[in-house]
Amino acid sequence: MSEAIRLEGVSKQLGGREILKGVSFAVKRGDIFGYLGPNGAGKTITIRILLGLLKPTSGSAYILGENVSKDEARRKVGFVLESDGLYDNKTAEENLGYYARIYGVTQPAGRIDRILDLVGLWDRAKDKVGTYSKGMRQRLALARAMAHDPELLILDEPTAGVDPSGQIEVRQVILNMAHKEGKTIFLSSHNLDEVQRICNRIALIDRGEIKLHGELEQLRRERSANEVEIETTEAIAEPLFTELKSLSHLGLRERKDKSLTFVLQEGVRVPDIVSLLVRRGVEIEGVSRKEASLEEIYSAMLKEAEPL
Amino acid sequence: MKGMPVVLQSDVGDIVHSRAFLIIAIIIGVLTIGAAVGITIALNRWLAPGLAWEDAKPMLELFMGLVVNYTPLIVLFTCMATWATDPIAKEKAKGPIESLLATPLTAKAVWIGKSLAIFLPAYIIGLIATVIVILVVNFASIVPTTGHFVLLPSQAVTSFLFLPLLMFALISLGVFFSLITNPVIGQTIVIFIGVILLQVVGQVGGRITWLLASWDYALYNLAGAVLLGVTAFYLSRSLSKERIILSSKGKWA
Repeated sequence: MSEAIRLEGVSKQLGGREILKGVSFAVKRGDIFGYLGPNGAGKTITIRILLGLLKPTSGSAYILGENVSKDEARRKVGFVLESDGLYDNKTAEENLGYYARIYGVTQPAGRIDRILDLVGLWDRAKDKVGTYSKGMRQRLALARAMAHDPELLILDEPTAGVDPSGQIEVRQVILNMAHKEGKTIFLSSHNLDEVQRICNRIALIDRGEIKLHGELEQLRRERSANEVEIETTEAIAEPLFTELKSLSHLGLRERKDKSLTFVLQEGVRVPDIVSLLVRRGVEIEGVSRKEASLEEIYSAMLKEAEPL
Repeated sequence: MKGMPVVLQSDVGDIVHSRAFLIIAIIIGVLTIGAAVGITIALNRWLAPGLAWEDAKPMLELFMGLVVNYTPLIVLFTCMATWATDPIAKEKAKGPIESLLATPLTAKAVWIGKSLAIFLPAYIIGLIATVIVILVVNFASIVPTTGHFVLLPSQAVTSFLFLPLLMFALISLGVFFSLITNPVIGQTIVIFIGVILLQVVGQVGGRITWLLASWDYALYNLAGAVLLGVTAFYLSRSLSKERIILSSKGKWA
């Protein structure tokens, strides 16, 4: 079983409104999977279905090969939901101990110490959670998600409402969980920067439909605007720039200090541009193909989805 | 029901360590001592020396019937009204319920765990209060005057078993409605049925007093417990995680 999550044509109707419309995608084991979409797109509903909190109107969802309708399917899943769900009147240790017992963790004390250390809250273990900052609460919620050493972590906007330094801490904890603990992470977010930084695969959802799904790097390449940036050792002189600009088939778009950006036209290859520049006496420092940022992909997707 | 004892243990801990528990325990303690002393003084005046046991017995048994019915009923009702709805409303609003339901726990395990967690501390407080009143009244007044200990088996069974069972069924109904609807609805149902019960005991004690010293009364309590229990069991078929979650988000199931 190489898939951690699989959704097959999952639809959900609530109050006569179709919130999810035949959502299908898969998350491989070992992925840090970003689930993106604007508010109200259906991200949280998808997560609630995965965690068995809501039943799909049609279609099926599986976690680690088990249908999510079975309560046992969640034994190997940890989660952080929109609201952290921590008990303010309990200490961090007590909150984690409670969940460890629910999952039947034997000898939870050692495990709790270790995960509190992992999220950097070991020294606050005996403090009531009501005294914690938002960032600390989110880190503790992540620790709770790890209390039973699950294979899969489902995280619903874990950095929402957290200040920038707290976001960095939470992000670092997520990366540690993925890389040091070998967990598969399903991360719902509308923080594009965060997803671009830590996720290797993504799905974009809008109005209950999956618009894009795949490996982030591949999507960025596919969606790139065919832009090539050529770095030079010296700044390009004005006469040469004017000449290159006049050759419209080259697609010269802009000149920066020591670089030129070309939008590749049909029939023009990068070596053609490079050899032309070399013939004009330009020394080339480097050539790089510009990939579309996640923000550009996201904006393009929303634009495409806009009703005419 | 796997995991239910964990919910029970955690919730009992929360209740016992809460300020509300301390306040209720103090109030009930004061009321219990006050009632025990008051009843003892009243009985000592009424039980004139030389009063024949045969003449005093029916009245004392009826009187004890009122004591052993009202004491646990008031305690259980007070605890239930305090714990059955407000803490659940807070858990639903702040998210712990959603997190609990996202674990392998079933909705029924959460329901039964929370109902028992409210019932058990209330039952123990009620039991202690009732036993204190029975012992003080008997040993400070009835036994020295008449030489007899007054507590009928039917009264003991009603007070320590059937009435608490009835209250547990009522608590589970209250928690059930608090989970799947607006907790205010759950609270209204609990208070409504609880007030009816208090009225019934009051009316029975005031008008058909012989009943409080009979097995019939014990069986009425048992029948009430069974009726409410069956109702709760029947309704529990509609208890689902989805209903609880949607009601938490303001969509009453």
